[in-house]
Amino acid sequence: MIYSPFPMRVVSKRAEAPGVNTLKLEFVKEEDHEFFKANYKTGMFGLYGIFGEGESTFCVASPETRKEYIECTFRQSGRVTSTLASVDAGDIVTFRGPYGNRFPIEQFEGKNLLFIAGGIALPPTRSVIWSCLDQREKYRDVTIVYGARTVADLVYKNELDEWKKRDDVRLVLTVDPGGETPDWQDHVGFVPTVLEQAAPSPENTIAVLCGPPIMIKFTLAALQKLGFTAENVYTTLENRMKCGVGKCGRCNVGSVYICKEGPVFTAAEVQAMPQADL
Amino acid sequence: MGIQEQYRSEAAALLSSGEVKLVIGFGAGSTADRRRPLFARTPDEAQKFVLDAACIANLSTYLVTEGLLSDGKKVAVFLKPDGIRSINILISEAQLKPEQVVILGYAIENGKEITPLEGRNISDFSIGEQIRSLTPPPHILQEAERIEEMSATERFEFWKEHFAKCIKCYACRQVCPMCYCRRCIVDVNQPQWVSTSSHTLGNFEWNLVRAFHLAGRCAACGACDRACPVNIPLRLVNYRMGKEVIDAFDYCAGENSNQKPVLASFKQDDPETFIL
Amino acid sequence: MTRILLRNKLDDCIAAWQKAGFSVLAPVRRHEMSSFGEVQKASDMAFDLVLPERTIKDHFFPQTEPLIKYKISKHQIDSETMTPPDQKRVFFGVRPCDASGLAIDDPLFGWDYKDDYWFKRRENSVIVTIVCTEADDFCMCTSVKLSPDSAKGADVLLRPLLNGAGWQVEAVSERGTALLETISPLLQENSEPTAPLPQVAEKFDVEKVMEWLADPASFESQFWKDIALRCVGCGSCTFLCPTCHCFDIQDEGDTYQGIRRKNWDSCSFANFTMHTSGHNPRNTQSTRWRQRIMHKFNYYRGKFGVNSCSGCGRCTRQCPVDMGITETLQAISTLPR
Repeated sequence: MIYSPFPMRVVSKRAEAPGVNTLKLEFVKEEDHEFFKANYKTGMFGLYGIFGEGESTFCVASPETRKEYIECTFRQSGRVTSTLASVDAGDIVTFRGPYGNRFPIEQFEGKNLLFIAGGIALPPTRSVIWSCLDQREKYRDVTIVYGARTVADLVYKNELDEWKKRDDVRLVLTVDPGGETPDWQDHVGFVPTVLEQAAPSPENTIAVLCGPPIMIKFTLAALQKLGFTAENVYTTLENRMKCGVGKCGRCNVGSVYICKEGPVFTAAEVQAMPQADL
Repeated sequence: MGIQEQYRSEAAALLSSGEVKLVIGFGAGSTADRRRPLFARTPDEAQKFVLDAACIANLSTYLVTEGLLSDGKKVAVFLKPDGIRSINILISEAQLKPEQVVILGYAIENGKEITPLEGRNISDFSIGEQIRSLTPPPHILQEAERIEEMSATERFEFWKEHFAKCIKCYACRQVCPMCYCRRCIVDVNQPQWVSTSSHTLGNFEWNLVRAFHLAGRCAACGACDRACPVNIPLRLVNYRMGKEVIDAFDYCAGENSNQKPVLASFKQDDPETFIL
Repeated sequence: MTRILLRNKLDDCIAAWQKAGFSVLAPVRRHEMSSFGEVQKASDMAFDLVLPERTIKDHFFPQTEPLIKYKISKHQIDSETMTPPDQKRVFFGVRPCDASGLAIDDPLFGWDYKDDYWFKRRENSVIVTIVCTEADDFCMCTSVKLSPDSAKGADVLLRPLLNGAGWQVEAVSERGTALLETISPLLQENSEPTAPLPQVAEKFDVEKVMEWLADPASFESQFWKDIALRCVGCGSCTFLCPTCHCFDIQDEGDTYQGIRRKNWDSCSFANFTMHTSGHNPRNTQSTRWRQRIMHKFNYYRGKFGVNSCSGCGRCTRQCPVDMGITETLQAISTLPR
């Protein structure tokens, strides 16, 4: 029935950054897993919950090429996320989804890919990054620009190392001024500035941009300066949600329901929304 | 010149001299017998003010709107004695600065006669005596007495039937000048003190929490009672709580603005009958 | 010749429906409030109401609805999906605006994901609409292109007879036809004239309103700030609205067990869209009122081809500060352009 979640077993919990955790979840019931495998595409989101506390909305951070588990990464802030952060391996949580639209990665084939993420917004980007890297031959140059406030705030540190080592991925890492440690080897500066310095070519390139609103705003300006068109920049929007399926009436920006028509939009689509409602 | 014209020109003068930035009064409503709150920022807009016996709402509730008075400027407001009483309570609870409020006072007598009240600053009004002797309208009093005579079980049933109707629209809270908390206890979810569900138990929780929060603070304006879309006689609840506080602490909320809130003060001779 | 149901047959009619397995709900006055409630006999019904204070929506989308029962123990959670009761119901004496409200909400609750809680109740219910013979100052069905005798959302349409003795009866759906079969011995052929419809003046030009709302420039108009100044931000207009459908999902219980519930929520409330981060896309009462109007007369139409308002007027009738859709739309339709 609608609103009834799937029970999920916690396989592992990994601390990513202060207050940020990743949960690896497996389906308790095979039929639920089959449903997920048949329906999940990168970019979709779910409602993660704990009975007694409620549900909270975030993306599926694992790629569509790896559907054995669901991974989710979240910052501990409200009632639900605080409880989710306290679970241990073996505990049961819930998942409802996958909901929403997706990144049309088959349309990205044969193109250069530029991924840009800020802070805790790497998870949605990471889902699409791995979905593409797992089929690396279909895409041309892959560039990842990722920034966080401090070195400690960078998430998926192991994967950053892995991407750094690969010669078919260009990884540009940065932290905000003051956020570097003495042994920090990468960039210091805000994402838009570092992006402009890295100067990826807009030629035949799709950009995927996820981050806090202020970062999106300035990074979009930087992308436009570099020659990207708003139609070739994809992003995700997040709003408070309760149902996830277009009924509860709160996640819309103007006439657009983030849960049904999103969360993935091109920058052009976002610009067409009433900005005061974002 | 009738009181309506007199107050229109006074409101216009306050605005044109720049003494106040805003006048909150009444305008014509959607039907002949309705009046609605009207906000005038220019002398022209002040000409739309209506003042007659249908102007019963307590407009002081708008004074605690977030940010309204944060610029230090003054606001004028049309108030009946219950509104003036609200101002006294709000000042005593440090929610308003007396110098920011200009009062255009009026009283409605016999439900139809409307008379101006002397004074413009809260200190000009001495309503203490009046409040103590103010009894609720006869039908409320009668009903209050009827409930008083019920057995505990009957009384519980009476309130259960009424609270069962509650839909948690929070109109009672939103129109109440004393419900100025930026974050109401029902909106706190860590922990969830009060259930958000609108079933009978959840409705009891909400209505009792509100009744307790208003004990010794209610101005008896009846706004909650009038606002309730499902006709819960909220005035009865608040009347009873107010009476309790008068009896126990000889404290009547809003007699003047120098009062120390009863639940925030301690006297050697306070009754301690509730301590087991 | 048409069929009529006489008032003095109503008790038999209720009995026949009960015998056929239906519970019968009709407008009632109970505990100083009018609403739809279960009735046993005709005298329980309040026929003199222009409109009950509460909408029929309450019985399809209740203010609190249990979704899932759960029990928690270490490494083990048992949950059980709860479903609405199977009870078949006849709603007798529904006003056209309330019945239309149900039909307006159907596409939303069916939008890709079917809300079983709504549809199970819809499927179990037969709507017997009684055409209006009276309207009050707040009625505005004609302004939203409905009428006091609209059959929208109805299964059976009753037209009051001029002599007050009963109603002309017409089935307007298959479910309605089936319901009338259960009382066919109680109906009689007759050609009594029916009572005239009330005059419900058009209060605004809804086409003009829709046109203005559709203009992207209107979104940031000063108009919203001015009109919403006196809104106190309660939820009465939304909770009494036959089409407002927004809800919250909340868990309620103790450490070991509880119930997940679907509770009414309102776009008027500041918390409605508040992010955990503290960011609130609709952080003022004017942006929330704009959302309500836009949702009803622009967004909903765009998605489902119909405005989300059936013109009952409860929003204004019950508003503590005399606001409402009528005033707002009147003001919009007379804006200079």
